[in-house]
Amino acid sequence: MSKTFLMGNEAFAHAALEAGVKVCAGYPGTPSSEVLETIAKAHAQGKAEGVHVEWSTNEKAALEMLAGAAYSGARTLFTCKQVGLNVASDALMSLNYVGVEGGTVLFVADDPGPISSQTEQDTRRFASFAKVPVFDPATPEQGCAMIKTAYDVSERYHTPVIVRPTTRVCHASTFIDIEDTTQAKPAKGFEKDSKWVIFPKRSFEAHGEINDRLPKIAADFSACEFNPIEVVSFGQDAEADSTASRDVPVQVSAQEPASDQVPTIGVVAGGISYAYVREALRIIEQLAREAHVALSAVKLMQVGTPYPFPAQRAEEFVQGLEAIMVFEELDHVLEDEFLKLAGQIHAPYTVHGKLTGETTARGENTTDDIAAQLIAFMQLPLSLEGRGMVAQTPIPARPPVLCAGCPHRGSFIAVKNALAAMGKKHEGVYCGDIGCYTLGNAKPLSTVDTCLCMGAGITIAQGITAVDPNRKAVAFVGDSTFFASGMTGVANAVYNGHDITLVVLDNATTAMTGSQPHPGTGVTLVGEHRKPLSIDAVLQALGVEKIIHANPLKAHDAIEAAREAIGFEGPSAVIYESPCTALIAPQAPVEFDEDACTHCTKCVSRLGCPALSWDRENRHPLIDTSLCTGCGLCAELCSDGALACPTQADSTDQSCPSSNAQEA
Amino acid sequence: MISVSIAGIGGQGNVLAAKILAQAAKTKGWQVRTAETIGMAQRGGDVISHVRMGNNHEEVYAPLPAKGSVDVVIALEPGEGARALPYLKENGLLVVPQSGIAPSTADLKADPYNPAAVIDALAAQGVAVSVVDDQALCDALGTRKALNIMMLAHAINVVNADPRFEHNELRNAISMDELREAIVACVKEKFVTMNLTAVDLVLQSAKVYKI
Repeated sequence: MSKTFLMGNEAFAHAALEAGVKVCAGYPGTPSSEVLETIAKAHAQGKAEGVHVEWSTNEKAALEMLAGAAYSGARTLFTCKQVGLNVASDALMSLNYVGVEGGTVLFVADDPGPISSQTEQDTRRFASFAKVPVFDPATPEQGCAMIKTAYDVSERYHTPVIVRPTTRVCHASTFIDIEDTTQAKPAKGFEKDSKWVIFPKRSFEAHGEINDRLPKIAADFSACEFNPIEVVSFGQDAEADSTASRDVPVQVSAQEPASDQVPTIGVVAGGISYAYVREALRIIEQLAREAHVALSAVKLMQVGTPYPFPAQRAEEFVQGLEAIMVFEELDHVLEDEFLKLAGQIHAPYTVHGKLTGETTARGENTTDDIAAQLIAFMQLPLSLEGRGMVAQTPIPARPPVLCAGCPHRGSFIAVKNALAAMGKKHEGVYCGDIGCYTLGNAKPLSTVDTCLCMGAGITIAQGITAVDPNRKAVAFVGDSTFFASGMTGVANAVYNGHDITLVVLDNATTAMTGSQPHPGTGVTLVGEHRKPLSIDAVLQALGVEKIIHANPLKAHDAIEAAREAIGFEGPSAVIYESPCTALIAPQAPVEFDEDACTHCTKCVSRLGCPALSWDRENRHPLIDTSLCTGCGLCAELCSDGALACPTQADSTDQSCPSSNAQEA
Repeated sequence: MISVSIAGIGGQGNVLAAKILAQAAKTKGWQVRTAETIGMAQRGGDVISHVRMGNNHEEVYAPLPAKGSVDVVIALEPGEGARALPYLKENGLLVVPQSGIAPSTADLKADPYNPAAVIDALAAQGVAVSVVDDQALCDALGTRKALNIMMLAHAINVVNADPRFEHNELRNAISMDELREAIVACVKEKFVTMNLTAVDLVLQSAKVYKI
């Protein structure tokens, strides 16, 4: 056992290992990716005995693979981000009916904000929809305890269990005790039984079993440590800090606080909002002390197990309360439950939160917002105004952009130039997808007209041409996304005769989430080498008749490839191959020849490369040599020959070898 | 409670600087939580790390600080110091390097980014800002890789020495030797010497700073 500084996700991985997890799978997605990477690291170091861990092709493949392992008695761990559960939902909905033998925990990370996601969906809602229990940690430490309990709940009731932390819990770090080595629990192997086969008759029976077990799990949750109730009273003494007594609820109600300290106001919080509430109460106490304002005690409850809702514990909490304010991110899940409870027990308390417009309706909660909302709710004569200075100077905006040297920039420019060269009637529609290349939407590239969900660019393009057959729809997909969810869309295009051009941006990794391997890389998460799946061979097998390969950093070849594919009648594809800059060593930066420059500005205004900026005074480009990777794209596109890559014999020669080609 | 925020741009090493502070706090026996920016924002975007330390043995609940509650903001870029200003306490310390990093823009008409003007504006509005001649220090070290450590060492040095920060929570909470120990514990072995040299360079040149 050693105390180690760990990010939430790293800690959760160790908690699963300590719980004896045997088979782990998922698909990368912020803020969930580090969990499996940590397990793979422990495995590589020989510290995690008997564990299988993999990046699966997508979330659905992962969960189905884990279902087989769980039927065989193994403890399993599934990881994904919130939208990943949408992909795995077909498997999850049925898996709950079939049930599991080995403990099955779905680690699903939600992303309030959203900070790195396309939706603000709430996995607590998904849990109740799927009738699957869910835990919601406030801190990494609590998440670790929840994961261990989740395995026990899963095995006791043969149900999958979701643990859903949010970004701020996943990416917060602290010192945590971890075991130096772990051993996977042995699994007995698959035993044949009719229960593993889902049929309508069996589903009807299973639905009854689910309905029977949920109230039992709710009762267990009411008695567990994850739904603490406490009375927070505020010392009148200037020296006193906020005194909080944390006890099991029976003892809390038996505590008989001083008569002026019997709270009539309750605060409920879920997830990290619970930590913010504690911080906000500290701020309020400080303000009250400074302003000589007396504070009444408040009753505080964390709901760490939102579904099935621990109604018995909540009923203890609401005793004597006149008003409750609920703090939670994403949906008003807990607020709904307290409203429901009030009806069920005919309680007189009022419920305040998102539905009443008194708390933050979307995006993240913060300590500041919660403090302000509590002050209003508690009708305190206190103000938070003046806390925090604001800079009286413009601050440069720094939106995320494609990195200097990113091969996607070359791909986007090639397609754009090809369409421009084909004339006005070919005005294209750029159907983008999820990954680093979504950043192609930014100026000056402006090459993402649509973006919906993983793999959807390919199929959306088909719908656009179905309405307007003369429109050229170009679908962009990354190599990892292609394997995750692009292939069915290609099959649809071929089968139904949609004349689209697919552009595969093959940078040999899953770049946006931190360079994870995928089926096309030929390397697994634990470093095993496999024969890489060939995107070309897959496209051929799916019936795509025109497939062209090009290096996106060799602008002229890349444009020609796009032109040929777009001009082809029927589904066609360009595979642009050049590795992510994170995978290769940078080359010598590009050199500028002042005499050759005609000040046309195109290198800056068309490329949007972070390594190039425009010197207004001297009217020429400035090269940030610390960022430039020497990719050569700007040199290829400079018609004046004013930019040159020294690593290439003659950068104006279109056939010069790209510095990156050998890594593709 | 001591709160320190480290503001920069993806790749500048603010996560490591936060980890070093957390290590120093742990050696003191304090509870500590940190928060980082990870994901899409890392692609050339602004990133901020927060370190919250229970130096009075109080419980640290949340990894993120409230506005106006941070004792020291360590900026690895002047504009990022301005962006992080709302976190800083009214009498807190802001340290910034002189050098700026221009935002990526293809807009030829955009006004050029002027980091010196940002620093002047912050000082003019009454922020206690301490400026580091990072170019001289990094030239002396031969690399910009340890800018994060230099700024961290400078911040601790100023807050410990400058009488204006007598009531700062970070003052004398972490000594330079404790910082060195934490660096040794956190950075890869081959980078220890470089980072310790960076600390020494900061201390040697400290007297020339107007603090």
